[in-house]
Formats: sequence, C-alpha cells, structure tokens
Amino acid sequence: MAPLKSLELEYPIIDVNFQNFCASHAIFSVEDFVLHDLYQLAAFAEQQPTSERLKEGITQVLNIIDNLHQPWLNGLELLEDSLQNKQVLSTGFEGVDLLLQGGLREGQLTELVGPSSSGKTQFCLQTAANVAVKNMGYVAYLDTGNSFSPQRIAHFAGQISESAFNQTKQKIIQKAMSSILCHSVFDIFSMFDVLRQLEFDLRSQMDRGEYRVPLLIVDSISSLISPVLGGSGSQGIDP
Amino acid sequence: MTKILFTLFLINKSGVVFFSVTPAMALKGWIEGDESADEMLSRLLTEGSPFFFLPPLHRLPLRVGNVLELVGPSTSAKTQILIQAAISCILPKEWNGVHYGGLGRLVIFLDLDCRFDVSCLAQLLKHRIMEANGLSSKEHREQQLGDLLNCDAKRQPNMFYDEELFAVCMRRFLYVRCYESFEFLTTLKTLHYRLRRESEAHGISVYCLLIDSIGAFHWVDRACRPLPMGGDNRKSLSLLGVSETVVQEVSNLLLLHPMVVIATRTTILGDKSSANEVPW
Repeated sequence: MAPLKSLELEYPIIDVNFQNFCASHAIFSVEDFVLHDLYQLAAFAEQQPTSERLKEGITQVLNIIDNLHQPWLNGLELLEDSLQNKQVLSTGFEGVDLLLQGGLREGQLTELVGPSSSGKTQFCLQTAANVAVKNMGYVAYLDTGNSFSPQRIAHFAGQISESAFNQTKQKIIQKAMSSILCHSVFDIFSMFDVLRQLEFDLRSQMDRGEYRVPLLIVDSISSLISPVLGGSGSQGIDP
Repeated sequence: MTKILFTLFLINKSGVVFFSVTPAMALKGWIEGDESADEMLSRLLTEGSPFFFLPPLHRLPLRVGNVLELVGPSTSAKTQILIQAAISCILPKEWNGVHYGGLGRLVIFLDLDCRFDVSCLAQLLKHRIMEANGLSSKEHREQQLGDLLNCDAKRQPNMFYDEELFAVCMRRFLYVRCYESFEFLTTLKTLHYRLRRESEAHGISVYCLLIDSIGAFHWVDRACRPLPMGGDNRKSLSLLGVSETVVQEVSNLLLLHPMVVIATRTTILGDKSSANEVPW
C-alpha cells in the first residue's frame, strides 16, 4: 500500500509535519489510515499547534481513500446497466433455462454444486457447446481434472446445429470447437495467471469489441481451493 | 394491536424507572440534556412504526441503532429477507391516495458477496406496487360498476404513477460492491460523507444499512496473515484487524446516522464448530 511519503508530491498538504504526526500514531501508509479510528486521530490533531493543517491533511487522505472503492450506484442505474449490458446465455437445457429464467446471466457467478458423477462436467460441456454454436463469442474453459472431452463437445455441437447437410454441419462444429479455449490448470496460482491474462486481453481489446468472452467455466474450483484451505474435506466445499 | 400497546407500556415504564432511580448530583446536567419519557414516546410515535411487517422480521421490534445478524446456511433466503426489508424501506407510506405502508427512507446496500440480482429487486418492487394498486383499482371498479369508460380513465392514471413511483423508489436504493476487505473498509470510512450528500440530495435520511454476507472475506483474511511491521501499535489487514475496524466504523456511523443495520452471514454446512442456532 502506498506509504504516505509517496503522496507528498501530488498532494503538498501531506507534508513532513503531517507524516510525523501520523507516525506518532503508528500510521505509515494508506492502509494504516484505513485501519485507524479517524475521529480519535482528529481529536489528537486538535491538541497539536498546527491542528487546522493536520485536519486538512486528514480530509485529503479521506478523499484519496474515497477513490479506492467501487463506485456508488442507485437502483435505477443498476437496473439500466443490467438490461443493456448483460446478456442472458441459454444453457441448451430447456429445464435448466426455465429454472434460471432464461439461462446464465452475464456478470453473475453461477455455482453448480453436487456429489461426484452427478453430471456437472456434462452440463459444462453442453453449455460451452451451446454458447459456441450460437456464435455468442469465445468460451474460456478452465479444466482442473482432465475432464474436458473434445469428442463430447463435437457431439453436442452436432446435436445443437440445425443444419441437415453434412458439410455445413462439419463447418459449424469446427467453428464452435475453435471458439472454446481450454486451459488445464492444476493449482490456484496457474488459474490466477490464466485469469489475469484473460483480463489483460479483454481490456486491451475493449475498444474494438471483436474478442468477446461471454462465458468462463471452471471445472471444478473445489479441487483448487481445498488444498489451500487445508483441514478436513467437510469445510463445506463439495466437489 | 395489543402487542403494540404492550411494547409502548414497556417504554413508558422504563422511562419512568430511569428518571426516578438515577441520582441527580453530578449527573444532573447530563440528565437534563436528555429528553423526557414523554418526548421520547412522541418521537417514537411520529417516527412511524418501527416494525417491519414482513416475516420473519415482524416479530422483532427493530429500532434505529439495532444491529441484526441473519445467520443461516447457503440457500436459506437471507438475501431475500434483505431485499424485502429494503422494499419496505424505500416504498412511501402513501402515494397519490394509495397506501403502501412503507417507510419512505433511503437504503444502503453493501454487497460483499457480489451476487446481488437487481432484476429480482425490481420484480418484487413492481409486485408490491401492483399489489397495493390492485386493491385500490378493484375498489374503483366496484364503485363504477356499469361505467367502463370511467374505469379505464381511473386505471390509466394508476399505471402512470406506478412508473414514476417505481423510479422514485429505485433511486432510494443505494448500492456498492466490495471485492475485498480493504474496499469494504474504505467504503465504511467514507460512508458518513456519502450519506450526508445523499440525504441532502433526496431530502430524506437513511433508515437501513444492509450488508450482504459480512463473513464474505473470512477465509481470505484468515489466510492472509501479514507480518506485523513497525511495532505492536500497528494494525494489519488480518482477520482480527479487519473485524475490529469494521465494528469500530459501524458503531461510529450509528452515532452520527441513526439507522438499523442488518447483516447476513453464511454458516458453512457440516461445520461442527458453528454456533448453536436459536430455534426461530
């Protein structure tokens, strides 16, 4: 976190005097500022000879802190944003689409929880195939247990594509398969790497908008997290 | 009705007991500064009913300054309770002759789970508005039985006001997301100034602070145990440091902006060390 010294250049009110005052209360960085009781600090500042300047400094740091959280929205802005920017992705299963009122929503995390061999991987493969065939963009598939099967994807894509002609069907299947980007990750750090790279790619292409990744599938996240948390497997995370 | 009378009786009684027992010597000035039991009663009555009428919160005499924690396993409708409470808060008591029974105040929603679905809120709000309107338009229809034209004219203004009322209510719902403890703390720290600005802009004050999943960053904070640098006085962003700061900030906030705080917490299924649950 930024030490207070580094803010002196940009905000001259955070001068050496202010920094010394903060240091006397064990505040060396913005993080310490956030953890400290500011009313108490202001009360101490009152007792100092340069109280006005110190209080201005505290207000300035508060303004800096105000930029360090997510923006405030009201209900109407939220609703407009969700209607305009967030699409609904059909999963390919009618029953599930009915339950989810249309399908998977962009901007939302959908967790699929269940015991082993309950069809979760098949669901993921079918959804990936559906999104790929319907040309909604690329699908990022993070596979932690070697369960990704291209044969199944081809089978699902063939089922979904409505063309009767073999050649066009093959083309559709090929196009769909090339829009599914599969990464094998076996520990949480490589997953972070993949996600960071994805974020970087999306951010750098935002102006052109051709590289769209509406769906990110992680199969399965519990095998990445349970080694980190440790303890017995009954910590509530089912595979 | 009897329940409300009983509670008022308690307030009255406790007010009287307070003023008769405390010695008047050094604390006289301090006591005289407070309001009398009579003033307190009249303030509580004019503040509107402090009861949320929707179950399961209707059994609790929630008042400003109370902090309520809703604990339950993952799919026990805790966020639903928060949304219903928010709707009760943002709906006005009356709007164009239709009684909605709400409080007409602002609501702050801190989403730490980042799973909030605004379309759910919008749907429930529309449903509540139409429910309240449906009754009044039914009465109108009964009054003007044989006159279809009059009915349509009366119904259309209701639908128009629905849109406006919906927009007004949605604007009273203030939302912010926090992706980590640090963002949560910075939001709490700057909440006071934000609330002041919003109260001035809307002309009404905040009644409710809703925090979705106060234990959202529990595992992350527990896992990150940064080494304490620079001596004992210096706090760090560990679980203990964050919890202490959150409690401190919320109590400071309650002093400046009297409001009800409702937070949800998810218990982990199958965890034998979780606290005993009080049967509801």
